[in-house]
Amino acid sequence: MASVCFYFQVHQPYRLKEYSFFHIGRDYVYENHDLNLQVLNKVADKCYVKANALLLQLINKHKGEFKVSFSISGLALEQFEQFRPDVLASFQALAKTGCVEFLGETYYHSLAALYSAEEFQRQVDLHKEKIKALFGVEPTVFRNTELIYNNNLARYIQKQGYVGLLCEGTERLIAANPSNKVYHAETNKSIPVLARNYTLSDDISFRFSDQNWKEWPLSAAKFSNWLQEIAVEKDDVLNLFMDYETFGEHQWEETGIFEFLNDLPEQVLTNTSLGFKTPSEVFKSYQANYPITASETISWADAERDMSAWQGNAMQHECLEKIYEMEESVKATGNEALIHCWSKLQASDHFYYMSTKHSSDGAVHSYFSPYNTPHDAYLYYMNIIADFEIRVNKSLKVKSEM
Amino acid sequence: MKEKLKVLMLGWEFPPVINGGLGVACFGLSKAMTGLVDLSLIIPKTAAGFVVENLELIGLNQLTIEQFKNQGASTTNTNTYDVFKEVTFVEADFAPYKNYASKTDVTCESTEVISSKNPEVTQDDILSFESVGDIYGTDIWDKIQRYAKVVSKIAQNKDFDVIHAHDWMTFVAGLQVKHESGKPLVLHIHSLETDRAGIGSRGGVYQLEKYAMELADLVIPVSNYTASVIKHHYGIDTDKITSVHNGVEALTPYKTKKPFPEKLILFLGRLTGQKGPGYFLETAQKVIASEPNVRFVMVGTGDKLKSLIEAGAFKQIGNKFHFTGFLSPEKVHELLSMADVYCMPSVSEPFGISALEATQYGVPCVISNQSGVSEVLPSALSADFFDVNQMAKHIVSLLNDGKLKKKVVLNGYEDLKNVSWENAAQKVVSLYRDKLFL
Repeated sequence: MASVCFYFQVHQPYRLKEYSFFHIGRDYVYENHDLNLQVLNKVADKCYVKANALLLQLINKHKGEFKVSFSISGLALEQFEQFRPDVLASFQALAKTGCVEFLGETYYHSLAALYSAEEFQRQVDLHKEKIKALFGVEPTVFRNTELIYNNNLARYIQKQGYVGLLCEGTERLIAANPSNKVYHAETNKSIPVLARNYTLSDDISFRFSDQNWKEWPLSAAKFSNWLQEIAVEKDDVLNLFMDYETFGEHQWEETGIFEFLNDLPEQVLTNTSLGFKTPSEVFKSYQANYPITASETISWADAERDMSAWQGNAMQHECLEKIYEMEESVKATGNEALIHCWSKLQASDHFYYMSTKHSSDGAVHSYFSPYNTPHDAYLYYMNIIADFEIRVNKSLKVKSEM
Repeated sequence: MKEKLKVLMLGWEFPPVINGGLGVACFGLSKAMTGLVDLSLIIPKTAAGFVVENLELIGLNQLTIEQFKNQGASTTNTNTYDVFKEVTFVEADFAPYKNYASKTDVTCESTEVISSKNPEVTQDDILSFESVGDIYGTDIWDKIQRYAKVVSKIAQNKDFDVIHAHDWMTFVAGLQVKHESGKPLVLHIHSLETDRAGIGSRGGVYQLEKYAMELADLVIPVSNYTASVIKHHYGIDTDKITSVHNGVEALTPYKTKKPFPEKLILFLGRLTGQKGPGYFLETAQKVIASEPNVRFVMVGTGDKLKSLIEAGAFKQIGNKFHFTGFLSPEKVHELLSMADVYCMPSVSEPFGISALEATQYGVPCVISNQSGVSEVLPSALSADFFDVNQMAKHIVSLLNDGKLKKKVVLNGYEDLKNVSWENAAQKVVSLYRDKLFL
């Protein structure tokens, strides 16, 4: 039986304040607490609370036939614990149904995989512990930040004991293969990979409310017909991977997105031959017969689907290099607060806000950015780095004098 | 010889409306001159309640049309402005102090600046000043025409011995009043188009500056540097050029302890080619390479801001090189109070009062040879604006050599003793006497 596999990404960064030169040496609170709380509450009320309640209802209604998976960053989880325990409780209620899988990722939603193996390992372990502590399960499937993937990452993930991983289904990755299969890493047949079907995923997450789209309005019945048409072989799997905030935040409630989500399981289960599976179930059920090669790093961001959303200009490069250059000295302080602060500064969002891309990708970057310009985002970040360096040096000095 | 000369002064920027050095200089000079002459100053915009003792300050934004209606014969004056027929104006990027907040680049349409008939002051003219926001902006040609028209009417009812006009925005008015009154015209040059737009600039503003200086009776640049530019790039007769250095307002310097351990090197100014911010960035890169314990701060905004930020990132010095954007005077003083070195690498700087302010704060200066202020501040270390190696060497020496730093600072205090607006005012008045034989 062909399958539909849902994975929803949940993440909220700590946005930084407009940290000017005059803050350096005077202000060690880098985050805009009010803004972060405001965004968290807004997204929680518009999306997480409502969508979680709906999913719980759907899972109960379909008695184990409807399944989804989540990847929730450590940064989002710690904000839920601190400010929205109700949201955390609703995720825990979903976990108890047995129909929801939680994936592994980096705790800090970082790009560490590309900069420091040691730091990447630390963040993956931290996230694993957090998921275990909050949901009582250990992730067996891995998805890297923003579906960033390359051959080396596949090798690493296997060493970590994961049964498989997720990535973006870019044309250059899939081109030589049939679509919608379980793939395996080029170098190793035992590392299965699920690739996002970006057309179907973006139909929901980007185009759903676009009235200029010829398929608008999109009903669950129409969408499930497409799924049936596309999934022609029994080992086909349609991977619908998207930001969870699609439901109620990127697509407002008024667009009918919740009705769509409400109707979809029934449409799929009654009118098609497809079933729902979580990623680990997919890996158990299907053979991975097709090799994919990612000698260059890919991701799910922007039209390029590469690293250019975070590494597209000199400002982004400098910030990334500066933050990772500090690893050794930050860790040498042995100061947990400093290490946590440094780690939070690694969140990919900070670099995403510095993108100077134009047109529609540029519009998406600025939709998410709390700053007026990418240059502002860079200046505030760099001023913070300057202050943070001073604190690290001070801490190292104190330590050496002890 | 008259006891006390009556001076009709024409200005553009004046406190509290200040965009750059022009307003500061105009204020300092006119205040000092009030003790020596009877002074009337006409500017486009005054703030109600801003008063300078013994100075008749006329802001066009404060006038009403009624004040022009009862002038009888003078409003039916039919003088024609034949003298302006030779001036043609071509398209030019004329906005020397662009309003960056508006994010629009302004380019001027070719405009006929001066009509050939003496026009009436209209309600429209009065209203345009009443509501004036940015005293530059895209319609500056229109503003300088209206200014000239209104000033000429005011001048017809005034008794004065000499016209003293500050920078090109007031030159049309100055020429017009000279033509109507037959009184000598003095042009005070604080900044030229060749400074702002590059030495090769020959646009509409340049033409106006050149034409006005040709017709003027006396040209007073703020430095010998600018005098030489006027001679070489405008071809003006050197006999009527005499420079008068600016003064500086006394201020109360204070010291602030830096909240970080690094030495601080400061740049203040609009981020335009004229101020050499790119050379400052290159200099910073060289200094940082040999002296990691430093921070550079660039204060100001301008059309080069984004490209400078990106260049800083490319050089990977963003954690040591900081941009503040535009800052209030209080914040600027706070920076001066904690700076270790002030650097002014201007490509072409008629004067550069900020270097004197830094000197007052006991901050040693490294300035370009292309800055007029170097003539009154021999204590400052200097290099050609493009010689970033020498600039960097000077900065490193000041950071590491306590003796040198002390010497530069103390000599700077000595230099300041000879710099005052009173000196400048006296020199201007004696030029009226000696050069214009008033």
